[in-house]
Amino acid sequence: MTLLVWTLVVPLLTAALGGVRAPRKVEELVIVSGLSVTFGLCLATAWQFLNGSMPAAFNDALRVDGLSALVLVLCGFIGLLSASYGVGYMRRNDARGLVTPRMRQEFSVLTPAYVFATLLVSVSNNLGILWIAVELTTLASVFLVAFHNRDTSLEAAWKFLMLGSLGLGFALLGTVLLFASAQGVLGEDLSALHWTQFMAHASQLHPFTLRLGVVFALIGYGTKAGLAPMHTWKPDAYREAPSPAGVMMAVGMMNAALYCLLRVHLISKAALGPDFSGGLLLTLGLLSVLVAVPFILIQWNLKRLLAYSSIEHIGIMAVGIGLGGEAAVFGALLHMTYHTFAKPVAFFSAGTLAQLHRSSDFTVIGQGTLGRAPIASGLLLLAALFVTGSPPFSLFFSEMLILRAGFMGSHVIATSVFLGALVILFCGFAYQIGRLVLGDRDPEHTSTVDPETLDWGVGVTLVAALLAIVSTFYLPGPLLGLIRAAAAVVSEGA
Amino acid sequence: MTPNVVILCAAGMLVSAYLMVGQKSLFTTIRLYGLQSLLLATVAVAMAISDARPHLFVMATMTTLLKGVAIPLFLMRVVDRIGIHREIEPFLNVPASLLACLGLTVVGYRVSTGFPEGTVGVTHHVLGIGLSTLMIGLFLMVTRKKAISQVLALLTVENAIFLIALGITSGMPLVVELGIFFDVILAVLVLGILVRRIVDRFESMDVSRLSKLKG
Repeated sequence: MTLLVWTLVVPLLTAALGGVRAPRKVEELVIVSGLSVTFGLCLATAWQFLNGSMPAAFNDALRVDGLSALVLVLCGFIGLLSASYGVGYMRRNDARGLVTPRMRQEFSVLTPAYVFATLLVSVSNNLGILWIAVELTTLASVFLVAFHNRDTSLEAAWKFLMLGSLGLGFALLGTVLLFASAQGVLGEDLSALHWTQFMAHASQLHPFTLRLGVVFALIGYGTKAGLAPMHTWKPDAYREAPSPAGVMMAVGMMNAALYCLLRVHLISKAALGPDFSGGLLLTLGLLSVLVAVPFILIQWNLKRLLAYSSIEHIGIMAVGIGLGGEAAVFGALLHMTYHTFAKPVAFFSAGTLAQLHRSSDFTVIGQGTLGRAPIASGLLLLAALFVTGSPPFSLFFSEMLILRAGFMGSHVIATSVFLGALVILFCGFAYQIGRLVLGDRDPEHTSTVDPETLDWGVGVTLVAALLAIVSTFYLPGPLLGLIRAAAAVVSEGA
Repeated sequence: MTPNVVILCAAGMLVSAYLMVGQKSLFTTIRLYGLQSLLLATVAVAMAISDARPHLFVMATMTTLLKGVAIPLFLMRVVDRIGIHREIEPFLNVPASLLACLGLTVVGYRVSTGFPEGTVGVTHHVLGIGLSTLMIGLFLMVTRKKAISQVLALLTVENAIFLIALGITSGMPLVVELGIFFDVILAVLVLGILVRRIVDRFESMDVSRLSKLKG
């Protein structure tokens, strides 16, 4: 078997092994080592690509080009990071008697399965397989959302599944219509759904059917990405999911969904010109950024706050891609990479705070957490600087790239609105986190707080923070090469 | 002869969707869904014979076994265990719903004329019916309150998409179709488990009670 196939088989095996009832230590070892190997294989596959060969399998149904390689590496990285944090998370909950062995088992099956699904998304060159893989990510994550089995988690899981399935229904219809638009051009076997085939015969596709297909596919995959107005599942799901699974959704799934959006966008761009799907992405992206504004300002829950921030970020990326042009596209992909490094810090430190206070509601946590849990609060503050895009941290640069490209291009008004929203979002997010971490402690507020200890979870958060800081100032050459290659795929369609 | 069979069965699917809108008994709705799936399988068989596309037989068999038999039986068992058999008053009453669906059908037929194959003959009807059923499914999803009814609405949407696929393409590639079937089974299982958890927890499957999360 080729390296690429192994990259997909290893997480599946890890999931299967996770289902075996074993002592806690063994389970932890299996999930972390399995996903470490997976990440190693992702890196090796990307390395193969950088060295000039194009890893492919099953008759090109799976194929790694620049875009795939970048998303593959990022998803593998997030899988490893969230599984490592998950170990610490489970240990803490174990100590409080909140997890049963069955729940732990559930976690160690579903997390690698989720990683497998996102990796499969990121290497599929076939629109049908792409759809199947996205559906798998949904099914793998439903029970992670319902994990704690509270009233609210079931509500969140139900909404997540219903909206997700509806979105995927649209995406399936979109796929069918795309396939139909190539009738008589591409034949009828599996290769007729290959993205590369669509690109090669873009000019022969039937325009009406294609247009309809692109709209449905973008709306469908946009639902998974959490673009407004299909974002409503996100805050609920993020609040209820355990933080390691939250990171998988907020970063792994988001990158994978963005990958799907890009593939569809590229077909549309090649066949209908850049304005059709580009305009749609720009509109949806702008709407997402705008929708996040009021909800961040009035937010009452820490994890929901992060969800709206993630809606903002997918909006930023969609705007970057929608604006088009090399610089904006590069900015969007750079943003995706930086976001992958920055978001886990926010989720992990917020997760630690929520665990210590046994709730993620602001009223329960109470202001002035810095005195109670200094490490997690400090890290949350740092993460807030990252995700709001404050200089000198990484996301500032990618946002500037997109803004610059926007003002130089033809969408000046849209870019101005976008800039305004970003400024308000910056203030809102900084206000919320600042108040939570640095505010005066209400003397009448008595919440039971567990003391913060330097455990495994905090250790992983520190490592993530270190990586985020390093990535700001130094991106390794090969990673930069991958971003460039991905930008080349998106702006040249090659 | 076969074009008539195709149109007849497709029309039957539309009728079953309308009956679902007018139904309150969950068992009957599930049976209607089963019937709709069997009609979809018949459309596939008729097309397989008339256009000599043997791989549609596989799809027809899978549709019959899974969507015509297995999924309805599974859902009936879920309903039986829960012991709730009727949909409560939907958000919109039945006459108004039927009227709305009539409008949706007109829209569905109108949209179908934009396709290159969609203006004449069998494809015109198959596409028109497919799009109409799709929209009726979406309509059911937003107006129904019981969890099982929403699942059935989702499955109706999915049947409609398959009908559209039959109408404008010669069926999706086999591998993809099998993958989709696999996903649908998984989704139904997941939904079934989730519905039971909700019922255990809330002692009801009225999803309009799931309304704590806001903002």
